[in-house]
Amino acid sequence: MNTQRLVIGLFGIAVLLVLIVRSVMTVYPWQHAVILQFGEIVSVRSEPGLYFKYPWQTLLYLDSRILTIDTVDADRFITTEKENLLVDSFIKWRIRDPKQYYNSVRAEENLAQVRLLQIINRNLRDEIGKRTVKDMVSGERNLVMETVRDRATATAEELGIAVLDVRIKRVELPQQVSENVYRNMIEERRRVANERRSTGDAEKEKIRAVADRERTVIIADARREADIIKGSGDAEASRIYAQAYGQHPEFYAFYRSLNAYTNAFGQNNDFLVLDADSDFLRYFEDQFGDQFGN
Amino acid sequence: MSFLIGLIFQQSSPPDLDEMLKQFINKLRKPSPSMKAFRENGGGGPGKGSGVPAVSLTVLVLLVCTVIVGGSLLTGFYTVDQSERAVTFRFGKPLSVSQPGLRWVFPFIEDYRIVNLTGVRTIEIGYRGGQRNKVARESLMLTENLNIIDLQFAVQYLLKDPEAFLYNNRNPDEAVLQVAETAMREVVGRSRIDFVLYEGREEIASATLTLMQDILDRYQTGIFIQQVAIQNVQPPDQVQNAFEDAIRARQDRERKINEGEAYANNVVPQARGQSSRILEEAEAYRRSRIAIAEGSAERFNQLVVEYDQAPQVTRQRLYLDALEGVLANTNKIIVDQSEGSQSLIYLPLDRLLENRSLNRPANSDITLNVPLDSAEPATSRLSLEEIRNEVRNRLNN
Repeated sequence: MNTQRLVIGLFGIAVLLVLIVRSVMTVYPWQHAVILQFGEIVSVRSEPGLYFKYPWQTLLYLDSRILTIDTVDADRFITTEKENLLVDSFIKWRIRDPKQYYNSVRAEENLAQVRLLQIINRNLRDEIGKRTVKDMVSGERNLVMETVRDRATATAEELGIAVLDVRIKRVELPQQVSENVYRNMIEERRRVANERRSTGDAEKEKIRAVADRERTVIIADARREADIIKGSGDAEASRIYAQAYGQHPEFYAFYRSLNAYTNAFGQNNDFLVLDADSDFLRYFEDQFGDQFGN
Repeated sequence: MSFLIGLIFQQSSPPDLDEMLKQFINKLRKPSPSMKAFRENGGGGPGKGSGVPAVSLTVLVLLVCTVIVGGSLLTGFYTVDQSERAVTFRFGKPLSVSQPGLRWVFPFIEDYRIVNLTGVRTIEIGYRGGQRNKVARESLMLTENLNIIDLQFAVQYLLKDPEAFLYNNRNPDEAVLQVAETAMREVVGRSRIDFVLYEGREEIASATLTLMQDILDRYQTGIFIQQVAIQNVQPPDQVQNAFEDAIRARQDRERKINEGEAYANNVVPQARGQSSRILEEAEAYRRSRIAIAEGSAERFNQLVVEYDQAPQVTRQRLYLDALEGVLANTNKIIVDQSEGSQSLIYLPLDRLLENRSLNRPANSDITLNVPLDSAEPATSRLSLEEIRNEVRNRLNN
């Protein structure tokens, strides 16, 4: 009797527990909770917390975080100059409207990704087709990414999805083009190397020329200075001479002439032809110095 | 009972647990009618260790329940490491971010997620492990002028906001890798190859870091990029040689310039030295000119004094002294033209000069000399003809 009651009691408790568990639900901040009743959405809970539902209603958790589509392989696109370009991108998206998301793709993430990828790829193809390789690599990369994202938004909205970002990762040239790029790079480096070597020579010559000029100028300046100094010496000397000799010009002429003779003719191998009539030889033949009648 | 349980748990549990157990027991005790029986029969049971057969079924069930509840409450303990933070939730609602230490959540109702906050995480792009182990797919990228470079870099990051990290992205760590690739390629795509390869490495890294942080903030990842480190950047293997040659060319240029500068550094100071020499010499010249002038002037002045006292004699003496000096050292020919002879004197000057160039001592060879210092004339007076002959003979010898 007592045991029977206990068993019934325990069974009752178990049933109660199951009912409680089936009618209580928690939602974490990274979740949307979709409450379905016989396959139809009754309500969506996106705020975290504790909620209740009827035990027969089923529950579907969706991810409210940002999700990524990152394809493994780069896709081939054709640019405006008919160049093949391998572009690798990734897409960041999130479920914006769980109800619509459920209705459009039955909350199948794979299906959503495929649909999204189709839209994005089509838009990428359009945008890349309008641009050159160079635009894609540098100039208009951001513009392309933004345009593609904005274009995809409308379609994505129908899926209950928000496309947050479309970002291009790798932009690669096909093998054939890469070879050309390498060749160009080699040529370009050669040009740089040649230019460097010849500018090196030019620089060197220039520095040498400047140095030579400087040397010439320095020496010329020194010579000028030197001549000025010498001139001042000459002038000073001249003044001293003039001052001294000016007192007695006639005697100075005589005195100076004698000095000059000594210096000019005193050398060993000079050969003098003297007139016997000269003053010096006055007494040479006549002791009274009178033989020529003067 | 409560006292006993309190005793049992006293050593191993913190006070808050003890408190809660007490409350729990108290709640149980009040409404339950069987509590009385439990108290009477088994009150001293566990303590004495002999009351087991006396324990009723109800007591046993209660005991089991107590153990289960107590045990499951114990599962609520967890530790948070120094580098970690734990975000706790009650019924899914964020409750708190707990600091390191021993923590407890109420099981079933509360929940926690541990996040490594300060631990630095590293991802490698373009290589794995060592730099030898390249991943060409990731490392080859295009620069502005459609050149290709080979760039390997690493990104270090940590979390600045554990809640954002948990709530906003399904795989935040993966997002860092994706964002790193797109950011670096965008930055490199905007830059010239020389900039990326040589002077701009730091700038590239910091621009990438900024861009990455922007994008990750837009995704609200709660991630903080600490460092973007470019491990290695080089031209692709196919063009390595050309690049190295360009670098050598740069060194050649430096060398040439250095050579030029070495030349300049040699020549200019030399010129300066030369310039000083020229100036000093000029100064020497000036000083010597002045000194000589002063000397000569003084000498003349003194002579003038003497001259003024006996002009005639002094004058003659000076004259003779001077000519004596001159003629003593020269070859001489004395020609007499006073007789009115019209005969032409022929002097073979060329021969005489030739003779001179032989640099013979002056007085030794021509005996026509009249040594003025000797008392008597050494030669008698000769006719022109004789002189001529004599000279010719001498020269011919």
